[in-house]
Amino acid sequence: MFKLLAIVLLCLLPISSAAVAQDEPLDERVLLTFVPNVQFAPFYVGIEAGYFAESGFAVALEHLQEPEVLDLVAVGQANYGIVSGEQVILARSQARNVVYVFEWFQQYPVGLVYNSALDLSDLGNLRDKTIGIPGRFGASYSGLTALLHSAPLTEADIEISEIGFNAPEVFCLGLVDAAVVYINNEPLQIQQLADAGECGDMRTVAVQSVASQVDLVSNGLITSRAHLDNDPAAVQRMVGALTEALRATIDNPAAAYLASLAHVESLPREEPLLEALEAAAAAQSDFLSEMPSRAEVAASRADLADQLHSRFDAQSLAQFNILLNTIELWDADQLGSSDLASWQAMRATLQRMGFLGDTPVELHDAFSNRFIVAAE
Amino acid sequence: MQKQRHIGRAQARAWRRGLPLIAPLGTILFLLALWQLIASLELISPILLPPPAAVASAFWKALADGSLLKHATTTLQEMLVGLGIGLGFGLALGYAIAKAPLLESLLSPLIVAFQSTPIVAYAPLLVIWFGTGLTGKIITTAIIVFFPALVNTIAGIRSLQPSLLDLFRSLRASRWQTFRHLELPAALPIILAGLKTSSTLAVIGAVVGEFVSARYGLGALVIAARSRYDTPLVIVSALTMTLLALALYSLVAYIEWRVLAWRRRSST
Repeated sequence: MFKLLAIVLLCLLPISSAAVAQDEPLDERVLLTFVPNVQFAPFYVGIEAGYFAESGFAVALEHLQEPEVLDLVAVGQANYGIVSGEQVILARSQARNVVYVFEWFQQYPVGLVYNSALDLSDLGNLRDKTIGIPGRFGASYSGLTALLHSAPLTEADIEISEIGFNAPEVFCLGLVDAAVVYINNEPLQIQQLADAGECGDMRTVAVQSVASQVDLVSNGLITSRAHLDNDPAAVQRMVGALTEALRATIDNPAAAYLASLAHVESLPREEPLLEALEAAAAAQSDFLSEMPSRAEVAASRADLADQLHSRFDAQSLAQFNILLNTIELWDADQLGSSDLASWQAMRATLQRMGFLGDTPVELHDAFSNRFIVAAE
Repeated sequence: MQKQRHIGRAQARAWRRGLPLIAPLGTILFLLALWQLIASLELISPILLPPPAAVASAFWKALADGSLLKHATTTLQEMLVGLGIGLGFGLALGYAIAKAPLLESLLSPLIVAFQSTPIVAYAPLLVIWFGTGLTGKIITTAIIVFFPALVNTIAGIRSLQPSLLDLFRSLRASRWQTFRHLELPAALPIILAGLKTSSTLAVIGAVVGEFVSARYGLGALVIAARSRYDTPLVIVSALTMTLLALALYSLVAYIEWRVLAWRRRSST
């Protein structure tokens, strides 16, 4: 375990840091959604490799539902949280003065999953199909509305089935023709079921991402307007630490997976897999010292995936594959920045859903790129 | 003087009679006043606890546009059907177990294990097994109301004095006559107590099912309102659930009062 920890720390250590050392780290709750999961790897890297500590924070992660995250940040019970972009617009329309300061996912992570035998690449073919969604709320519903609008179709043209968070099972039982899912995670699960012959007659899963149709603002870091005004330096340091942790995760996924082991109990941790990841993390660390381009780093991730697939079964690698898929949604030349157009597209989507009422929601105050660390 | 004393006693009697009605009303008014005070002084952020006026406004709005009625009707439908099914199974199996101890030995580990698992743990499975329509919610409700009905039926039937059973046997009463005239009347007070518990649990079963997946129902309304940061509507939904549970409980209490009238008469 000592060896593992040492490797993780060595591989993830910041090459350069804008950290402001403080005598006493500031206790800071960061509120996340869902449950501990490898998809939150940048936060685990931030803690394990010391990015947050070097920025003066002793970060404690907590998992809640999105509305609770947002409300607790809005009332100042926590200074930072991760929510999807549409939540910021909805909450601001209900007098929650929060500000989105870092776009964590550069691509909207939601999409439509369906049997590749069905020709749904043309979204117009969704007409009269049954589409499963968790419920008429959240990023999945926003994503579906945006997809339908780009078709162009309306809800009246399809049958919506509220399936909860059971998409793989419900989809494979054939209860829906397609399902709205998080594209970094559930398509992998469905494909695994299909490969095991447990997904009806489906052989290959196809995905139509929302991001391929429209650029919607995605998940990101929020803080309250009061905290931002009272302590902008702290917000700057938090965004800086998250930027570095995110970049370290993107650059060295093997090390990020190892860092996540301390936070995610359900991660596969067979000794041969961990040994392979330790070796890969060390090799990647050497590779990164050569200052490779973003494309070269992406190629190195693909090589690593190929190497691991030749040695381990799909079940052992499922969570690592989810991390690799998620990295594709995070990666960008400039991390953290969101643009007005994606906010406007999201607001228009929410208006089409009838969620915003008549009161216009001003977007300029909803987000800020002033803390974004410029890419080197 | 004597007349005044008589009036005083009459007033005291009237006050005592009215107290059971006035006391809960007083508690509710006190809580409302406390809530308003907390909201006025902003001891808790209105984001987390909106003032009563905002909740009342959300209530009238949801009532006027018909959405509250639609959601409440769906939940009530799930509650009533689920309650009927759960009670049916609970009463039948409870009677069978009470009469056949072997059956209890066979089934009790299974029943206790099933009951001790929180309903939220297998509610998502029910959606997969029974689909996303009403069936899954009705079954969730039936499962949650089943256990109190079962346990109270067993306890009720077993509370019977053996000497009374001997008496019926000596009178050569048929099995049906024994059930109709002895076992059922004797067990009813305990069975109805279980029914009261089940009636309050029914709303929990229905709403848990709706939390997993639903378009309509008060659980779905809570999720929809929460996702739109409409906290007053969340409170309206929760209060409506309480009202449904209270209404069902009161109905059962009324049935109990009517059915057990013979006990009051015999005791007086």
